[in-house]
Amino acid sequence: MKVFSSTCTFDYSWEEVSAANWRKYCPWNDKSTHVVAVDTLSRSVDSETGILRTERLITCDQSVPQWVLSLFGGSATSHVYEISYVDPKSKKVTMCSTNLTWSNVLNVQETVTYQPSSAKPTCTTNFNQEAKITALCGGWQKIKNKVEEASVERFSQNAKRGREGFEAVLEMSRRVFGEQRERENDKLQS
Amino acid sequence: MSASIAPECNDIKERYDTCFLKWYSEKYLRGNTTSNDCEELFSKYKTCLNKVLKEKGIDSMLEDVRKGNSEMDAEHNRRS
Repeated sequence: MKVFSSTCTFDYSWEEVSAANWRKYCPWNDKSTHVVAVDTLSRSVDSETGILRTERLITCDQSVPQWVLSLFGGSATSHVYEISYVDPKSKKVTMCSTNLTWSNVLNVQETVTYQPSSAKPTCTTNFNQEAKITALCGGWQKIKNKVEEASVERFSQNAKRGREGFEAVLEMSRRVFGEQRERENDKLQS
Repeated sequence: MSASIAPECNDIKERYDTCFLKWYSEKYLRGNTTSNDCEELFSKYKTCLNKVLKEKGIDSMLEDVRKGNSEMDAEHNRRS
């Protein structure tokens, strides 16, 4: 098993980040183009805790290294299952995802959290990401290592692009939301 | 908004996503967690989506992966 982890801080409030997170993979994000579809499978609010639970299916289309394709076959389209929890009281978003495709070869378990930063909780948000990557193909340790290394490499590239793309979404969200509010204020005044 | 895996569901998905995002930022995050403004749109979107998930065989993959959910829910679906 190999572990990939990263952290960063966004200069936006937790409310803004958690709302923009729902459209992380929209056309405003021109960096995460490997994500071609995001579908919501279920959604519910726990009546006791108020926690919002969402299941999503994320469809990716990305160039898989040729040697991987020739070893394991399959196509370049893959699916990821994501289950997320938003706790509005403690202000925490937790997203857990796992790969549906190639699950007999490789297991990727990713956990992402968004929480207000302790330094500036009202205007900045901490992002934490950890992925555990395990190659499952029986036998050859050398191949397993190679598969895991290639996956971690790809994962870290996508994580970097994801961060840049999300920054763009956050910026656009703030702009659009501001314009919307201005329009509403104008309406109220006229 | 992002596209649906099924192009024929894109329209209804777009309407649902827009409704959800409005509800999320204007009601849910402000403490009104019990309202469900988008239920009808979601139900239409799901009908469209589920048909395609079945055709593509994704529904059975989901069934398998959901077996681990009770553990995940126990950990995250309660107040920490």
